[in-house]
Amino acid sequence: MLLVLSAEQKAHLGCLPQGTAAVAELGRLAVELLRRGAAPRACEAAARKLNIDVDAVQRAVEGLTYLLTESSKLMISEIDFQDSIHVLGFSDELNKLLLQLYLDNRKEIRSILNELAPKLPSYHSLEWRLDVQLASRSLRQQIKPVVTIKLHLNQNEDQTAQVLQTDPSTLLHLIQQLEQALGEMKTNHCRRIVRNMK
Amino acid sequence: MRFRFCGDLDCPDWVLAEISTLAKISSVKLKLICAQVLRDLLGDPMEYEKILKLTSDAKLESGDVKATIAVLGFILSSAAKHNVDSESLSSELQQLGLPKEHASGLCRSYEEKQSSLQDRLRACSLRLSRLGSVCWRVDFTLSSSELREVNEPLIHLNFNLRDGEHGETAAVPMVLSAEKFRVLLAELKQAQALMNTLL
Repeated sequence: MLLVLSAEQKAHLGCLPQGTAAVAELGRLAVELLRRGAAPRACEAAARKLNIDVDAVQRAVEGLTYLLTESSKLMISEIDFQDSIHVLGFSDELNKLLLQLYLDNRKEIRSILNELAPKLPSYHSLEWRLDVQLASRSLRQQIKPVVTIKLHLNQNEDQTAQVLQTDPSTLLHLIQQLEQALGEMKTNHCRRIVRNMK
Repeated sequence: MRFRFCGDLDCPDWVLAEISTLAKISSVKLKLICAQVLRDLLGDPMEYEKILKLTSDAKLESGDVKATIAVLGFILSSAAKHNVDSESLSSELQQLGLPKEHASGLCRSYEEKQSSLQDRLRACSLRLSRLGSVCWRVDFTLSSSELREVNEPLIHLNFNLRDGEHGETAAVPMVLSAEKFRVLLAELKQAQALMNTLL
């Protein structure tokens, strides 16, 4: 699969200076941008060191970032990557440098991109208590067991808690259903899929 | 193998694995580390540097130190949870492979603090909300825009609730007439009588 670069992106990458040391430096900046977010001071420092305009550095770094993320996202092969950047008309040395940059950082960029997927609230912990209701305003002399559960959930560093109440027979039914769900993993169908995924 | 301190279930694999790490520490130092872990379980801050110093002789890595603290915390809180006496705990720990002096040292520390540990666990049990305080005020309404002579008493009640772990306070204010208040008081007195029969 080839990467298709729009005209604007080609212009951004066209700002890349021709020296390999400079491109290596900008590549490092691009990876840092992906790891930690925008760092305008680092761009200014690089611009001063390489004697280029700050805006050009900014655009070039952004272009490189786009190139790296798209290639890592699509997991394109070396040959496809080389063909995609061939259209930019860089020297062979530069192309090799960019390819090396892509291959070195591919795994890390993929793990960063992995965290950007939307997440549902996930389980954090569970507290429970077992009570027996003996009387209420309307009825005395009762015996009614009640299980109160507080489910703590995590969603993007937000902690929420849900309070649920049930009687023991519903709780047993719930446990039975969950055990059945776990048991599904042992069926032939699931085993076949898991084997093929590995 | 069923263990009472695990709630009549099998002992977790990770606990079994860490028993050998516990055996590497001398029994005297283990008792001191137990004291620190008990402090943490009872809510006081644990002095981690002391534990590091005590484990330095046994040449444990930082991961092993944390595992030791975790295992001790599990054993002590689990034993308190299932109300295991220290004799049974000692024999069960020896069955798991902990040397006799280590087990008896651990169980002696456990026995001293067993009831305070259980009180603390009782206090930490799930509770949806607690009543913090009640404030009240009795007013007497003279007149209003609807009626010139009202002449009725009015009660303002404010319940301050404390929510569990976050310590957030919520205030529930309400206004009651004299009859409503009498009904509320009568019902609450009946509930109190019922609670007293259970205590």
